[in-house]
Amino acid sequence: MAALPRRIIKETQRLMQEPVPGISAVPDDSNARYFHVIVTGPEDSPFEGGLFKLELFLPEDYPMSAPKVRFITKIYHPNIDRLGRICLDILKDKWSPALQIRTVLLSIQALLSAPNPDDPLANDVAELWKVNESEAIRNAKEWTRRYAMDN
Amino acid sequence: MEEPINRSQGGESDMECSDNECYEEYYYDLNDDSDIEQVDPSKKDPEHFEYKCLLEEQVERLLNETVERLSNMLDITPSLAKVLLHSHSWNNNEIVTKYRENPTNLLVTSRIEPAVSSTITHNARYIHCPVCVTPQSLDKFYSLSCSHMFCKDCWTTHFEVQITQGISTTISCMARDCVVLAPEDFVLKHLTRPNMREKYQQFTFQDYVKSHPELRFCPGPNCSIVIHSKEMKAKRATCSQCKSIFCFRCGMNYHAPTDCLVIKKWLTKCADDSETANYISAHTKDCPKCHICIEKNGGCNHMQCYNCKHDFCWMCLGDWKSHGSEYYECSRYRENPNIAHESVHAQNVLFQAREALKKYLHYYERWENHSKSLKLEEQTLEKLRSRINQKVMSGLGTWIDWQYLFSAAGLLAKCRYTLQYTYPFAYYMDPGPRKELFEYQQAQLEAEIENLSWKIERAETTDRGDLENQMDIAEKRRTTLLKDFLDV
Repeated sequence: MAALPRRIIKETQRLMQEPVPGISAVPDDSNARYFHVIVTGPEDSPFEGGLFKLELFLPEDYPMSAPKVRFITKIYHPNIDRLGRICLDILKDKWSPALQIRTVLLSIQALLSAPNPDDPLANDVAELWKVNESEAIRNAKEWTRRYAMDN
Repeated sequence: MEEPINRSQGGESDMECSDNECYEEYYYDLNDDSDIEQVDPSKKDPEHFEYKCLLEEQVERLLNETVERLSNMLDITPSLAKVLLHSHSWNNNEIVTKYRENPTNLLVTSRIEPAVSSTITHNARYIHCPVCVTPQSLDKFYSLSCSHMFCKDCWTTHFEVQITQGISTTISCMARDCVVLAPEDFVLKHLTRPNMREKYQQFTFQDYVKSHPELRFCPGPNCSIVIHSKEMKAKRATCSQCKSIFCFRCGMNYHAPTDCLVIKKWLTKCADDSETANYISAHTKDCPKCHICIEKNGGCNHMQCYNCKHDFCWMCLGDWKSHGSEYYECSRYRENPNIAHESVHAQNVLFQAREALKKYLHYYERWENHSKSLKLEEQTLEKLRSRINQKVMSGLGTWIDWQYLFSAAGLLAKCRYTLQYTYPFAYYMDPGPRKELFEYQQAQLEAEIENLSWKIERAETTDRGDLENQMDIAEKRRTTLLKDFLDV
């Protein structure tokens, strides 16, 4: 494997030294491009109190291409599907090499605070979120309690 | 080198005729082609089409002339002129008008200048590149008009990654949310590897030809000819190199009298039986703006076309911007047909579906039948060739004496081809007197074509005059139908 670019080393160091509040990202022992991520559910959101595991991978041409991020913990959210894939513009066409792992994870945390049912990935969830928001929020809280609180 | 103009061959004039007819035709042609009285050739031949087949160098010259003209008029670099022309379908006048009205607005909407100009000044001699975080001296940094500075190496990698993905004319600045495009000279300045430069130039060339309404790539396999025509219409073009025949506007097989959108709909419908078509209809849709075929490989219904960057809703194909709260109307319609529950209604629907299928099969069988006949008649031509060979060898006339049979076979193929393409046209026509007229003319054409085919198959026993008369009738029927219904 090619040597790790300075950019990735710097980003990793900074993530360890000045972690973002509510987010931890630790590189895998055997693969410095693979990160184990834990995002805490934001306050005043249905995900409050939950710890959500994600995986983040930096592809070969990072930062020219966006990192690949996926939720591992099950989550009830209109922009995240059953497989944990995330509908977020900066992970797709709005990616810019000037963005970082840190900014990506912050955007994901912000997405938990502000779900966007108009741009949905999980259709059934989004539909409920629009038609009956209180029930959707109840489901989200229930899922958080069931899947994101035990460990 | 200048290629001769190819003209579509309308009325077959090279056939032999009796003395009297020849005189008539001689005088008639003299009138028609005289330089004094110019007759619009498309009045006589509805398929008349003027175009040139250009080689890559000729296309480049043509594009460069336009670029140079604009670059001189507005006093900008050729690279920027290319960005403007590419985003305005090479419409020089439109650009100049917009420029005179409001130059800043033009440059911002064409993504040459940033909407908000920033003047970031760096005083230090060494700065960190925001992408590779390596400190370097200031002279290693470059920026577009938006002043976002990145180091030379990062620009190079950025361009290489984009080019590898097939992107060329739409590569933008690396800064977050910055839409300023990297013009050609800036990209080329940073590309050092010869194969990358070559790929980049190849991709931009393709983009330019595709955005130019007067140009179309020949669809023939491995053919690099580009057709150029001022008439941006659905007319028949024949490639001078690979002899492919296609529609100038859509690049598909020539399809008169049916128009481009209808023939596309028809061909997709016809292919519906195949597995691929099932997959395509289940998983793909055409972009509502540029009509490129898009496969949905993720769950999100907010789509952005890879080709033209149009944002739309996967469900209803409406513009995403004007979408907002109506969104769920789309999915409800699809998931709740609401009909299957009522049994009477269901029977009605079933009946309608059966009727629709019957109608479709009626037209499809005829379409398919003529397509098969075309292939069979190719074999007839082969047989004809060997029979003529035998005749010539045994002293029955010369090769030239029998040439009229080949022109008859050629005309038959042309007429049958048009006849084949009248079926999709009729299928999508609304019932009414116009459709009746069309189907009447279609039936007449069909009858004359079958006559002609019968006579060619029995060429030895058919009188030559009789055959030529039949050719004339068939072609007249074809031209009449096209004159009345070909709308390009």
